[in-house]
Parts: sequence; structure tokens; C-alpha cells
Amino acid sequence: MLLYLVRRFLQMIPTFIGATMLAFLISQLVPGDFLARKALEPNVRQETIDRMRSQFGLDQPMHVQYVRWMSNMVQGNLGQSFVSNQPVMLRIARPMRNSMYLAVLSLVMLYLVAIPMGVYSAVRQYSLGDQVVSIISYFGLAIPNFFFAQVLILLLFIIRSFTRDTFDFNQMLLPVAGLTSSNFDTLSPFRQFLDMLWHLLLPSFVVATAGMAGFTRVLRAQMIEYLGSDFIRTARAKGIGQRGVTYKHALRPAIIPFVAGIGGLLPALVGGAGLVEVVMSYPGITPGFLAALDSQDIYVVLGLIVITTILLMIGNLLSDLLLAAVDPRIRYG
Amino acid sequence: MSADQERTDVAYEDANAHVSEHAAGPLVQRVSKSQGQIIWEQFRKHKSSLVGGVILIIMYLTAVFAGFLAPYGINEYRRTPVAAFRPPTPVHWTDPDTGRLTRPFIYDVKEERDPLTRQRVYVEDTSQKYPIKFFVRRPSQPYTVLGLFKSDLRLFGVDEPARVFLWGSNNLGKDVFSRVLYGGQVSLTIGILAVWVALFLGLLMGGIAGFYGGFVDDLIMRIVEVFAAIPGLFLLIVLASLLRDPRNPVAQAIGLQMTSAETFLLTVTVLGLVGWGGLARIIRGLILSAREMDYAAAAKALGASETRVLWRHLLPSTASYVIVDTTLAIPGFILAETGLSFLGLGPSELDTSSWGLLLRDATERGISIQFVPWLLIPGIPIFLAVLCWNLVGDGLRDAFDPKKRR
Repeated sequence: MLLYLVRRFLQMIPTFIGATMLAFLISQLVPGDFLARKALEPNVRQETIDRMRSQFGLDQPMHVQYVRWMSNMVQGNLGQSFVSNQPVMLRIARPMRNSMYLAVLSLVMLYLVAIPMGVYSAVRQYSLGDQVVSIISYFGLAIPNFFFAQVLILLLFIIRSFTRDTFDFNQMLLPVAGLTSSNFDTLSPFRQFLDMLWHLLLPSFVVATAGMAGFTRVLRAQMIEYLGSDFIRTARAKGIGQRGVTYKHALRPAIIPFVAGIGGLLPALVGGAGLVEVVMSYPGITPGFLAALDSQDIYVVLGLIVITTILLMIGNLLSDLLLAAVDPRIRYG
Repeated sequence: MSADQERTDVAYEDANAHVSEHAAGPLVQRVSKSQGQIIWEQFRKHKSSLVGGVILIIMYLTAVFAGFLAPYGINEYRRTPVAAFRPPTPVHWTDPDTGRLTRPFIYDVKEERDPLTRQRVYVEDTSQKYPIKFFVRRPSQPYTVLGLFKSDLRLFGVDEPARVFLWGSNNLGKDVFSRVLYGGQVSLTIGILAVWVALFLGLLMGGIAGFYGGFVDDLIMRIVEVFAAIPGLFLLIVLASLLRDPRNPVAQAIGLQMTSAETFLLTVTVLGLVGWGGLARIIRGLILSAREMDYAAAAKALGASETRVLWRHLLPSTASYVIVDTTLAIPGFILAETGLSFLGLGPSELDTSSWGLLLRDATERGISIQFVPWLLIPGIPIFLAVLCWNLVGDGLRDAFDPKKRR
């Protein structure tokens, strides 16, 4: 196992170097010298510019710049944000944390809803319920995330306009934007937690529906396959009831790929929420990335790409390890 | 009974003089079916896929004839009076005086302010009727069909100053209905074109990797991994956004001006570049297993060159998988394009329209969606197109799979 871990880790290194090279190459597409523009700002001292220039070797040829950037990065220095003069690390920490909340909650929702749905439609194949589940999953597969978020926001507004006369709602049923209320700082820690959870409900629901489609379909197919296999017949012959067969014998092997999918949590945090964050003005990675790109804050852009790439690779590794841990048929030498 | 017969046909397809076991009486000469016929028969049995296919055909036809079906031009709007944020125009079918059915007509609207909320509201001005005219010529707004035929004939329209907005109008007073029709031209084709780019790269790289193996294989697979390691959405966004700027080094080297046609092609290229990895991986796997088959060895023994074996024997054997996988990749590309356009990073707004761009209208600063819900209509065709491509892809997958034959 340890040997496998070491080997996988070594394999990750060239991929990582390749990915950083690609990201760096892309960053060279930014037109003009970004420090030159920085120098035009009145409150920036020439020394700062010179320091940044020499720190990242911006006056050197491209391969030197890359090596300089990489060696800075290995030491944990992702550079300086041009917009806010903060270290990049500090600047991207908060959006990443926010996106992580969203990813975790939507994953919990996904598992809570999709597992029963997949099991049900496998046990009651071709029943009305199965067809409804299949329609729902086609729906989730086809609707663009950001459009779904827009529609839900509209629905909430409509609900409010209907209930305003009877219940005198000045508030929305659910918050449709942001992560915190305006009075967030005055709340007690527990209330703060609830407030955030309340804000997270809608975006994570939208993200969860997108994953639901694929999840349910695969789980259904897996369950059907296992329910028809020999060990299920043996279990039935020994007198185990329908419930036991379904949940103890068939679901366990069928769920394995999804247990391993928890390792995919890290990558999900990376891109999963994507445009939903933009529509719901959620302070997550994607809006931060877009803003940085818009202001050509290139080290923030590069930093986000590098960090998310690392997370993606660790997540994939974690998935494989989890798979080995829960599935006795897989053993890594 | 008919199903049984068909199954027999399939079983004996390679022999041409077999007698069906079910056929009574004299010997019947049976004609075997071609592979294409079998697939088509199987596909036809998938009712949902068939419906999806028909809807897709209709959608593509409306995109081709968008100019004829749409009452207004792609970016047509007028300055005075501005017709901004008009709700869908109600079409009247009955005469208000007699209550009898009449030819459809609309009223012009007057802009007023809601005394309470200060919101802009439109009130119908019932003093004059504007009948909807069919087959009107509007020489000021010509269009072309497939870039070949020029025309100015529109299916329907009304006289100025009234305007017919079947699905409302946006912040500049552009007709949403017309723009959705034109938007289909971009959103529906971009997915297919991007798949071709991805397929070309995937076949080339996957084919080479699987066939030559060794160092080349390792190298190509590492490249695929590198592309897969960077989160796809970010890669798309950063490439689309940086390459869009006409001052970027690549554009300056080739001399691109980023006209709307060029941003369209750019979007296709970026989508294809980001999406080829998965296809390459699948094709490599298929070729690796096909290379060991007897027919590949036989071809080689007969003196076929390596390239010939690859292009004439190995790649065709992957055809069915490739067809299914590319069909199922198209909806993904359509979604990716609408997402990029939604961020304003897709085809430029100058003289094209795209469903993602139209949804962007609903997020303009200062717009509250509850007052302009019709701006969300462009999401419905996205949903429909992606759904139908998925249905067709699933149908094809089952039709190509001998184990799932019915």
C-alpha cells in the first residue's frame, strides 16, 4: 500500500509540472506588461514595482520566469495580487473556503436524495416511480445549472408576491443571493452558522440536482446488475427478506464507486458550483476567478488554477485509496 | 410475431438463403439486412429517442429559417419610442365589439408608471387595431438562409409604430422571440462543430497513442492528464477570455481582429481543445484491444503498411463507440457554450445571438427578474436541445449494442 502511494505520488509530479507549464503559458497570453500598468497608479512606489519585477523575474526570458515562479510557489509564495496588494494565498483563501461549504452541503444533499431514488428505481424497474425518477434525472442532466438557479429565484419571487397579501412577507422564503445576511456580524456564532446554512440551501440544491442525474442512473444500473447476480439468489434461498437483500447485499457493492466519490469532493469544490455562484452572487471561487481575470490580476488567476489543480489531483488520489479501502476486491501491491 | 421474425433475421444475417424457422410452406428466400438497417430498426423502437430526434430536426430547421420565421432582425431596435422591457404582446383573436372570431390583431401599447411601485407598465391602447400580416416584405432588414439565399420576406409582422413581441423584449427593445430563433443558429451549431474539433484531435492523438504504444503513448497520455488536471471550467474561461482580447500575442501573430465570425470560431476551437482528452483516452483503449485482434495481424501479414492498418482497419472498428460518444458529447458542448456566452465569453454580441447571451440579459445590472420573467425564455430551448441530444445519444447507444437488441 505504501509502495503504491509513493508510486502514485511520483506519477503526479510530471502531471503537475505539465499543468503548471500549461497555466503559465496561458498566462503569457495577457497582452502587455502588467507591471507597467501598475506603475501608473499614483500610490505605488517604484521600489515596489522593481521588487516585484525582480522577484518574479519579469525582465527575464520566459523559461526563467517560469522557474522563478515555480520556485516561489514551492516555498508557498504564490505572488502578490496586483489589485489589493495582498499575498495571493490570503486573497483566495476565503472564496475557496466558501466554495468548500457549498460543495460539502450539495454532496450531502445529493447522497440523501439520489441513493434512495436509485435504489427505488432499480427495485421497482419500469414502474411509474422508476419512470418519474428517470424523467427527473433527464431533466437534471439537461437543464443548465445557471438557468435553473435563475428559474428558482424567479419562483421564489412569485411565491412571495402571492403570499404577501395573506402572510405579509417582506422577506423572501429563502435568501437568493450571497452567503450571509447584512446583520451577520452582530449574530451569535450559532446564529451565524444557521444564517450561512440558510443561505446555502438554494445554491447547494441547484448543484445537487446537476449531479443527481448521473448518480441515479449509474446506481440504478449497478443495483439491477447486482440484484440479478448469484450471491443475491443465494441470499434469498437462505431466507433473507426483500429489504435485507436490497440494502445489505445489493446496495453495498453497488454503492462502492460513490463512497470512493467522496474523494471527488475536492474537485467538486473546484468547479462544480461554477456559474451558480455567479448567478447567486455567492462569494466563491468562480466569481473570484472571473473578477481576477477581468482585472488581469494574473497571479491570482494562476494561483487559483494551481491550487485547484493540486486539489483535483489529491482528490483523485484519495478516490483511488478510498476505493481500495472499501472494496476488498481491489488491493494495491 | 414480427419481433420474432426480426430476431431470426438478425441471427442469420450473414447467410442469404436461410429459411425462417417460423415460415410455413414453401422455402422463402430471405434478404439479409445491412448493419445500417439493423441499427435504424433498433433505434426506431426507442420511442423517446425518436421523439427527441424529431424535435431536434424541427429545432435545426427553425434555426436555418430563422430569418423567415422571425419578425425582426437580429439586432433590430429603435430609439424612439424605445420598446424596452415590453412583456409578451397579447394577440387578440376575437373582435372586441362583436365577440366574433376575426383575423389576429394586436394593439400598440402606451408606457405608464405604476403609481405605487414606480415600475414601468405598458397599457394597451385600444383605439387602433394592428392586424398581424402574413408574408410581409421588410427591405430594411434583409437576411440570408444558410448564407446562400438572400431574402427580406418574413412570415409575419405588424405595421409600425406597433411592434409584435411574442416573447417580450429586452432592455434595448430587441425582440426576444426573434433573437431566440437566431440564437439557435449559433448555439445549435457550435456544439456540433466543437465535437468535430475534439473528435479530430481525439482520433488523431488516441489513434497514434494506441497504435504505436511505448514512448509516444506515454507522452500523449501525459498530455491528456495535464489537460484533465486543470479544472475544465477554469481552463475554458481563462482561454476564452484571454484569447478574445485582440491584443493577445496569438491574435496579433495571426492577425485576428476578433470579428464576430472569429470569436465564433475561437469559441469552437477552445471548446474542442478543452474537450478532446476524454475521446482520445477512449479511442486509445479501443485501439489497444483491437490491435491484438486477428484481423489486424492478418492485415499486417498481407503486407499492409502500419498507417493502412491504423486508418483502414483499426479506426473503423471503433466507429460505433465513437458515434455514440460524440453524440453524447454534443449536449455537453452546447451547455459549455451557453455557459461561456452567459459570462460574455462566447461569440460576440455584435451581430450574432446565442441562447447563453440572451440569458445574460436577465442578469444586467439593476434588473429584477420578477418584473421581466420573459427574459428567461431562452433557457427553454437550451434545455430542450440538450435533452433531445441526450435522448438520441442513449437511443443510439442501445441500438449499437448487440446485447440490448429487442
